[in-house]
Amino acid sequence: MGYRTTRRGAMALAGSAATALAGCLGAGSDAPAASAPAGGPPAADRSPHLAYERDRIREGVVSGGVSKDGIPAIDDPTVVDASSASFLRDEDVVFGVVRGGTATAYPRAVLVHHEIVNDRLDGVPVSVTYCPLTGTAMGFERGATTFGVSGDLVNSNLVMYDRATDSRWPQMLGVAVSGPLAGRPLREFDLRWTTWGRWRARHPDGGVLSRETGYVRNYGVDPYGSYGPRRGYYARDDTMFPPLTSDDRLPAKRVVVGVRTHDGAAAVTRTRLRRRGVVDLSIDGERLVIAHDDALDAAYGYRVPPAATVTAGEDGVVVDGAARPAAALPFARWPAVEAMWFAWAGFYPGTVLHA
Amino acid sequence: MRDRTSATLRGVFAALRRPDGRAAFLLGLVGYPPLYLASVGHLALGARGHSVRVVADPLSRALRPTRPFSFEPVARVALEPVALLVSPLDVGVALVLAVLVGCNLAVGLVAWRSPAACGVEGSAGALAGVPALLTGATCCGPAVLFALGVGAAGALLPVLRYATPAAGLLLLGGLFLVAGRQD
Repeated sequence: MGYRTTRRGAMALAGSAATALAGCLGAGSDAPAASAPAGGPPAADRSPHLAYERDRIREGVVSGGVSKDGIPAIDDPTVVDASSASFLRDEDVVFGVVRGGTATAYPRAVLVHHEIVNDRLDGVPVSVTYCPLTGTAMGFERGATTFGVSGDLVNSNLVMYDRATDSRWPQMLGVAVSGPLAGRPLREFDLRWTTWGRWRARHPDGGVLSRETGYVRNYGVDPYGSYGPRRGYYARDDTMFPPLTSDDRLPAKRVVVGVRTHDGAAAVTRTRLRRRGVVDLSIDGERLVIAHDDALDAAYGYRVPPAATVTAGEDGVVVDGAARPAAALPFARWPAVEAMWFAWAGFYPGTVLHA
Repeated sequence: MRDRTSATLRGVFAALRRPDGRAAFLLGLVGYPPLYLASVGHLALGARGHSVRVVADPLSRALRPTRPFSFEPVARVALEPVALLVSPLDVGVALVLAVLVGCNLAVGLVAWRSPAACGVEGSAGALAGVPALLTGATCCGPAVLFALGVGAAGALLPVLRYATPAAGLLLLGGLFLVAGRQD
């Protein structure tokens, strides 16, 4: 069967890979105070944009109806070879990540029941997270601790907690809003939202998270609906919980690809990105470009020097006259988050929108 | 109160002595658990093949709460096309409610068919089992209510967390109301 576990390299020290993941938010002046408590996940150098005071976000936290860890994170994941993943159909959604030359796919059908996988990629302890109600898949470094599902939501978004300090971290914000680590930003890396067939064609020798999670669930059943075809919660225009801020520029569940810097946020609809191939989402002079990978039907974000020319071409993305694949532009990667519009606009009111 | 309790028990046993009462009781006993388990996501269609899988350390896992009055499943039984997640305490809750639903159906049916009893109260008794079907917070949010078309269903969560015990109390109240009066 070709099973391998992701516990290999267990002696790797949690904090030793601080710079290992590409796409971490850039350096700046908002590092957490030196007096910040020890433990917990490692801090990014600079916090992404927060449109609200933390008090306002805390006031928006509501119970999601489940107990703390009532949605159990996968703490001991098992990865199988792509050739062994007979439980996946080509059209099934997976979240893909490549680290250290190894590709790993996380099936949405598994994560919809667990929301967090505490894994180790290329020796780095990470958490791969997914919130069904906001349609967001994001990756974070976790250091020596693990993340769990608090059972709370804010703006319909998963509120994680770290098991070292019990601080609370709304997934989309990537910043603790309460607890001993309040204000600490997480080191973030990006995932590809694509389908199993597309991902396997790109990475035939990669691994995939198996259904041997240590828990029993009906992994073929999504309690919210379906993505293929889009049904239930994912298709309806209303939400279970009111957003922090409503914005009717787009239907609530329309998917956008968003980026945020320390100073602001911007987003493009997935349909526009697919049509244009490359979209410039610069924020306050910081040049960020989103490139569409046609083969994966997925987005890649980059921080681009001001003088570079980046355009869509017949065979990928043209950078300063040379065609390159969207997945390998010669720039620093920047997390580009796919999200339902209501969730993005709720966290980032006034976001620049390219529709 | 003691008289009313005795009268309720006599009314239930009287209903269960009749063939139509027993049939109604069995309908509730057999029919309610699948509805309840489906509403909390433990019973689903779509399984392939036949299999039984049990988690490691099922005893401690069985006591781990997932939401109010619901606990972690310890086994998955697949019998194509049905898959059942076995959470012993959830099954226990379903059976307790099913007994109460069955009793309500039995006394309700007897009351309806008896010219001396009030049919409206009798038919309403079994409906008290409905609240427990609406809790369905299988993951985040009350998915069952949302699927039924209730927008912003999250606002009902503070109430829904008590829906299971409320259903039990309402079912008991229904019995007291109907069976106790029939005596």
